[in-house]
Amino acid sequence: MIDVRRARPLLGTLVEIAIHDDLPPATAESVICRAFAAVARVHALMSYHDPQSELSCLNRGAFSEAIAVSDETWQVLTAARQLSEASGGLFDITIAPALADAGFLPQHAGESRASADGAWRDVRLLPGQRVRFAREVRLDLGGIAKGFAVDQAIATLQEAGVVSGEVNAGGDLRVLGRPAHRVYLRHPGQPTSLLPVMSHHAAAATSAGYFQHRHHDGRAYCPIVHAGTHTLCDARRSVTVFADQCLIADGLTKILYADPERGSSLLERFRARAVILEPDNHSGDCRVFDSAV
Amino acid sequence: MNDDFRKWWAVPAIIVPAAIPAPAFAVQYLTLEQAQQALFPEASQFGSQPVRLTPEQTRFVEKYARVRMRGTEQPVWRVEAAGRHVGWFVLDEVYGKHEFITYAVALDASGAVKGVEILDYRETHGGEVRRPEWRAQFTGKRYGASLQLGEEIKNISGATLSCKHISEGVRRVLALHQAALK
Repeated sequence: MIDVRRARPLLGTLVEIAIHDDLPPATAESVICRAFAAVARVHALMSYHDPQSELSCLNRGAFSEAIAVSDETWQVLTAARQLSEASGGLFDITIAPALADAGFLPQHAGESRASADGAWRDVRLLPGQRVRFAREVRLDLGGIAKGFAVDQAIATLQEAGVVSGEVNAGGDLRVLGRPAHRVYLRHPGQPTSLLPVMSHHAAAATSAGYFQHRHHDGRAYCPIVHAGTHTLCDARRSVTVFADQCLIADGLTKILYADPERGSSLLERFRARAVILEPDNHSGDCRVFDSAV
Repeated sequence: MNDDFRKWWAVPAIIVPAAIPAPAFAVQYLTLEQAQQALFPEASQFGSQPVRLTPEQTRFVEKYARVRMRGTEQPVWRVEAAGRHVGWFVLDEVYGKHEFITYAVALDASGAVKGVEILDYRETHGGEVRRPEWRAQFTGKRYGASLQLGEEIKNISGATLSCKHISEGVRRVLALHQAALK
């Protein structure tokens, strides 16, 4: 039994891929390289920051004409639409302008002003994997692309016949070959402290403001926009969602972060579980809310 | 704060006391030799050639990379394959608020980035030393049953640092190549 574990900087975070199997070490290494390549491909297609990405091409041109996209981008856009429909628009990939205004995303030179009343419904998914914007919206797939990249890397391991392994992209993770496993959650007020939680779902994703919040008017905000109000969410809480697919876990964290009540009503439908951690600023205690309890 | 949250989940499943003891998280992905092999599988020789920057070169690097140089010496290996110079292997470290990362950058002979591999990732100790009462609270419960001393921690959900420090580091390595390895 070997245990090969590698990490590379990708998707704006550290991506870790591990294989525990009987494979020859050289084979495991090459499978891990292919899994990293799958993650890098998602990054190249869906980066908001890269003007050459397929996503940037959509943001520039899909209002004037329908643009055909890759299988991967199509899958992510289709899943995004499902999450938007299920959540009544709480999940919305057209919130890029609000994130850019808050400094979480770059303002691209020469880009036109996005339509103020644009929303997820304005992203039309047409036959032939073509995409057309009904209004001048701008998309950011940061809310699910990382989860999707994890799923793609796991698929690469599966296709190579790997029995047991795991992929963790900056805290969005999925294991292969273990029905129950332990996931460590960070204390939102003290992020190097870890809380172990047993999971029966393969994937987990966390949204929290502890490493990337910004201060504004004396409050801390995280890069999650409440799609109903177009305002940024409070950064004190952490939301972890456990699901079978990392893309779903990743997307649901955004919904639960913005609206735990509405979000929690979707957990059953997506066969997911949520754990919310909330620190008490006075006592320093951490409250744990678990939908599975 | 969203009040719906209060309505829906009024009662926490559990309250974890203020000082959660946590062992420092650390993982070694590659040793130095393994990283060299991974980034330059074709190489026949790695010649250690640490770079000491002159004050002028340091200024150049800081200006070009827009980051401060901490030390003046950078561990660098000149890489050869079949007697031909094929690139540079540069070892570097970055510090975040909570973490410490050792990584390596492979540059080809022209100075372009060929690959980046993480060697070590370490998080500083977050909590106090393990408190028995905290451990007792979780024993036999769904929250981790127990956190064993020295237990191998994997699968942390929740972002680590952003890659910003590593991107800055790679920019610094490129500037260093420009200043001292061309």
